Amino acid sequence: MGCQHLEELYELWLLGAISEQGSLDLREHLGRGCPHCLARIREATETIYLLSLAPKPTRPHPRVKSEVLRQISRKAAPDR
Amino acid sequence: MNEELPAEKLLARVAQHDVAALSELYDRYAPRVYGLMAHILPSRTAAEEILQQVFLRLWSESPSLSQEGGSVVAWLVVTAREAAVERVRVLRKNPPDARPQGAAAKTEKGPDTRARKSKAAVLVSSAAKSLNGKSEAMKTLPADGARAPAMGPVPMAWLPQPKEILLIDDRLALLHKAINQLPKPQRQALELAVFGGLRETEIAAEMGEPLGKVRTSLRAAVTFIKHRRRAVCGTWAANI
Repeated sequence: MGCQHLEELYELWLLGAISEQGSLDLREHLGRGCPHCLARIREATETIYLLSLAPKPTRPHPRVKSEVLRQISRKAAPDR
Repeated sequence: MNEELPAEKLLARVAQHDVAALSELYDRYAPRVYGLMAHILPSRTAAEEILQQVFLRLWSESPSLSQEGGSVVAWLVVTAREAAVERVRVLRKNPPDARPQGAAAKTEKGPDTRARKSKAAVLVSSAAKSLNGKSEAMKTLPADGARAPAMGPVPMAWLPQPKEILLIDDRLALLHKAINQLPKPQRQALELAVFGGLRETEIAAEMGEPLGKVRTSLRAAVTFIKHRRRAVCGTWAANI
């Protein structure tokens, strides 16, 4: 499958919205290391990022941060 | 002294096991990620869980992530979205139809997540309704979880550079305004993909539209947004 045909699929593929067959075609094409498609995938990721920012930022409960820090401190400790 | 360090420098410190650097990244980006999680997931508990997981992943994957030079916030947002919609897909496949009893049900239901509407604007309106009614959608849509998800975690090499993301962040309101100009059916189809993790076939079922029409709508929506983004972040913006 050629790059031009894939042009409109990157964003939907990253979203997991396209069919299994379309997804396989894209994976196969990307697996060949096409530089054009890599650039387009980066651009598509920007679009996914943009779309994902529609919901209003919301401060999570402080206990979530405490728990994250507690867990990483536990992970970090044996390495020291 | 108080000048904000770029996120990518903080990530390099995280890779060196600097807990304070992770704490700084959390303070900077957790609200953005949590806002998205609370919008996608049906409960505050689930939203907090994924938020936590994503930052723990950032910690453990920081050595490799910091080598690549991609945008940290893009990684956080895209990875969190992927994890959250995957959770929603699993819930759709295995709906918790044994209703949680009493207190458990209250704990699971966050106070403000279902009614949330994006002030940014933009994408939300109709999809907020369909997604806030997601328990219904979960029951009626075909379970799709048996198939492998189309995407796994996004490799760092696929992420945009920090400067590209800064451009988007700087012009976010304008970009969301542009997205809001999408015709309603296109916006709704796109929102079901972005926030509901639905495939084209599922979106068609949810909207009661032929697959071909939904497919066309999704492609048109993506093309529209891509062109608007290029215009707002590219030459058009530079000429203002």
